[in-house]
Amino acid sequence: MGGRQTTGNAGTPMSVASDLRRTDAWVMPALVLSVVVAAIVGLSAGAFPVTLDSFYRAFAKLITGVPPAAPDERVLLSIRGPRVLGGLIVGAALAGAGVVYQGLFRNPLVSPDVLGVSAGAGLGAVVGIFLSLPMIAIQGFAFIGGLTTVALVYAIAAAVQGRDPTLVLVLGGVVVGALAGAAISLLKILADPYDQLPAITFWLLGSIASMRAADVWSALPAVVLGLVPLILLRWRINVLSLGDEEARALGVEAGRIRAVVIGAATLITASVVAISGVIGWVGLVIPHIARMLVGPNFERLLPAAMLMGAAYLVLVDTLARSLGRIEVPIGILTAVVGAPFFLWLLWRGRHGWS
Amino acid sequence: MLIDRRSLALGAAALMVVPRTACAAREVVDSAGRKVMLPDRIGRVFAAGGPAAVAVYVLRPDAMVGWPREVRDEEKPYVLPGVRDLPAVGMITGRGDTANVELLLKAKPDLIVDFGSTRGTFVSLADSTQSRTGITYLLIDGRFEGTATSLRLLGAMLGVAERGEALARYTEDLFTRVDNAVASVPEPSRPRVYLARGPDGLETGLKGSINTEIIERAGGRNVADGGDQRRGIANVSPEQVLLWNPDIVVTWDRNFFDRVTKRPDPVWQSVKAVAEKRVFLAPTAPFGWIDRPPSLNRLIGLAWLANIFHGAKSPFDIVKDTRAFYKLFYHVDVSDTDLGTLIAWADGRPPGMPARR
Amino acid sequence: MRLEAHDLAFGYPENSVGRDVGLAVEPGEVLCLLGPNGCGKTTLFKTLLGLLPAQGGHVTLGSDALSALPRQEIARRIAYVPQAQSGVFPYTALDLVLMGRTAHRGLFAGPTREDRELAQRALDDLGIANLADRDVTRLSGGQRQLVLVARAIAQASPLIVMDEPTASLDFGNQVVVLTEIRRLAARGAGIVLSTHDPDHAFAIADRVALMHGGEIISNGRPADVLTSERLHTVYGVHVTIEKTSRGQVVCAPSYSR
Repeated sequence: MGGRQTTGNAGTPMSVASDLRRTDAWVMPALVLSVVVAAIVGLSAGAFPVTLDSFYRAFAKLITGVPPAAPDERVLLSIRGPRVLGGLIVGAALAGAGVVYQGLFRNPLVSPDVLGVSAGAGLGAVVGIFLSLPMIAIQGFAFIGGLTTVALVYAIAAAVQGRDPTLVLVLGGVVVGALAGAAISLLKILADPYDQLPAITFWLLGSIASMRAADVWSALPAVVLGLVPLILLRWRINVLSLGDEEARALGVEAGRIRAVVIGAATLITASVVAISGVIGWVGLVIPHIARMLVGPNFERLLPAAMLMGAAYLVLVDTLARSLGRIEVPIGILTAVVGAPFFLWLLWRGRHGWS
Repeated sequence: MLIDRRSLALGAAALMVVPRTACAAREVVDSAGRKVMLPDRIGRVFAAGGPAAVAVYVLRPDAMVGWPREVRDEEKPYVLPGVRDLPAVGMITGRGDTANVELLLKAKPDLIVDFGSTRGTFVSLADSTQSRTGITYLLIDGRFEGTATSLRLLGAMLGVAERGEALARYTEDLFTRVDNAVASVPEPSRPRVYLARGPDGLETGLKGSINTEIIERAGGRNVADGGDQRRGIANVSPEQVLLWNPDIVVTWDRNFFDRVTKRPDPVWQSVKAVAEKRVFLAPTAPFGWIDRPPSLNRLIGLAWLANIFHGAKSPFDIVKDTRAFYKLFYHVDVSDTDLGTLIAWADGRPPGMPARR
Repeated sequence: MRLEAHDLAFGYPENSVGRDVGLAVEPGEVLCLLGPNGCGKTTLFKTLLGLLPAQGGHVTLGSDALSALPRQEIARRIAYVPQAQSGVFPYTALDLVLMGRTAHRGLFAGPTREDRELAQRALDDLGIANLADRDVTRLSGGQRQLVLVARAIAQASPLIVMDEPTASLDFGNQVVVLTEIRRLAARGAGIVLSTHDPDHAFAIADRVALMHGGEIISNGRPADVLTSERLHTVYGVHVTIEKTSRGQVVCAPSYSR
């Protein structure tokens, strides 16, 4: 998931002088660098003391496949390593899905949750916690819950067949999301306040604290699988963001492309929500910042948003666990950082979403 | 000692079977210093939360109107037959806060009992509920060290003063024995203990919190020591646990227990307690042995923990003491099979996870 | 490539807008559609493009029925210049014009260098090369309209449908666009556009269709169709049709009551 240096379009000699915003010569490498920096910061920070020597030894053990022995090696390889890697993947996935949804629904106020995938995944997880199932089943339920919810929304939209397909989808998402939320609230009341309610609350706030290597490997294939159509269809997604009619007039099968793209974005989102819980604001704010930096062209916007999301989440998570001995749930921090920023964006974006 | 307790238990049970005539209406003072009027007859008591439910069950099971949540199948063998099927009525306090005031009125209790904190917010809740419903609301101190006093106070208020006295004496005896055992262990030899909550085990109680005071009382040193006086539950990172490196990990979550004991877990296996196989699972039938809820049910847990922490220096025979405790406090003669289930559970072999009823 | 509507009935699922429409656009021909607001021009155009299903009759593109063609093939044959809206995302003008090349590229492909050259040339042709890197959401309505026309040019399709392409343009730009339309027709494209100004029809149209109440009430050469009586029927305005000394036909409305 590293950055790709996409072929610049405004920078070719044929066109007129490029816009200040579009000096992509430095943007992409800078974003890749920020991911690397974030990863280093994330690996270096933490309660357990590690030294440069710990890194060497841990790296050596990683390369040679020898299991770690010393506790500091374990911390790096089994605790911080998966946590940072998981954070990168979750951040990238949420930001990438956010970019896709915003383009698809032609609305920069949209988050990956617009079709209810987080609500559905949350419901799945809450059911799993309520039934006192082991962690792996809770994650599985969350994944299936997310996918099912979006499929349900899609089915509703297909049945209603309104004039404006995207509007019907969004409304369907609102309805189904609300239902899922109601079900979650109901389960919270029925849940045992000592056994289950704390776990439910913590899951709904999102956390990558107990990310294991196994979690990362379980989510990665789905994320990569979901990314493939998004990368392949990147130009068509641009066209789709003009609106259904114009897109079709330009030769794009709007309905079909939209279905594939939603499916891909949902797959990505559901798989990371299953391992990290509901982390908000990343999928809403990061796409905006990325669009401000590289413009709305999906060819550049998708990798830019994903890199930014990855770095952002790891940095915020590092902050969350460095504020004290107690973990601040990451969803709280992303909201604290994201919401004021979003207000600022709204104020700035009075005349258009640039 | 055993004989003493048994006769006490029989006596208390006998006393309990005879219908009590409550004392005449009078003014009493509860643990928070509130002056309230106790009604003539106390036939129906509403427990405001989980801890209160345990307290009322222990003293006056005949007067219970219901449980905060229904008794599960695996818990039923350890609860009196008539009482185990009482309906769920929700709670007014605790993390649930679900009791509907109308439901409360419909239950027509003579009294509401709350067992736990006597601090400001709970006093306000007590006063406001009392004035809204017209039903007397008692606040009883639920702190561990105040157990004996609270038993005497509540027992007297509920019209079972002798029973309250008997249980209080049992408690004092228990505390004394634990204190003696702990005193004989110098501070540095006391084990460092981590309470693992939740399926991840990353939620714990800070030192001094109501959820872990039993650990400190049993002579363990809670690793989650913030240094400051902050209490309550906190979420921690796995690194932090590794840094603390507790000697012993205690939990009552069966999934977590399975996860760290059945297979090597990459995150937990370096923790000293896990590596040395000193992870202990507390039974939770009918109530948790160390928490869940933080109430009188912890008394048996105290003995259990003392054994775990101090081994030979601890004077408790868990099999005998469990049987006696369940008889005295929970009013049940536990069958050998059921007792065996509990003991195996306390030994790391819990029964299968219960299916949702 | 010939565009033809056969007994076309068109409208939305809830209501029918027009019926019995028959018209044809030959290669190299400019057809002007005139009619008052709300008579159904836009709906007709969307039906011609296959964006709305026909409610009766059918449309053919060349020798194929419109309904039988896949979306991408339709876009290769016929381009659409809609009425300009403000747009949500700040694409550059060049990017927007580039999207016109989508029909010629595979499902997974992006624009090629050749596409970029075509797009740039389209902008040059309309005199807006300097807008290439500008953010379209910040352009004026007229500038945006020109960008959309450029996009249709870049799409290089033999047929173009334009919905009031001169609506938001200033006088100078109107002439630019109309000139460009004639030039495209001269190169073999068949163009149908809607307009409110009979003078435009006189200026560039080979054929004119007059629309009223969802029906084509007259179809033919401008001089034959655009008579004072008919314009009065359709618009309720008194006009005199005159020829200038240079031979250009103009339509002069009467402004006094």
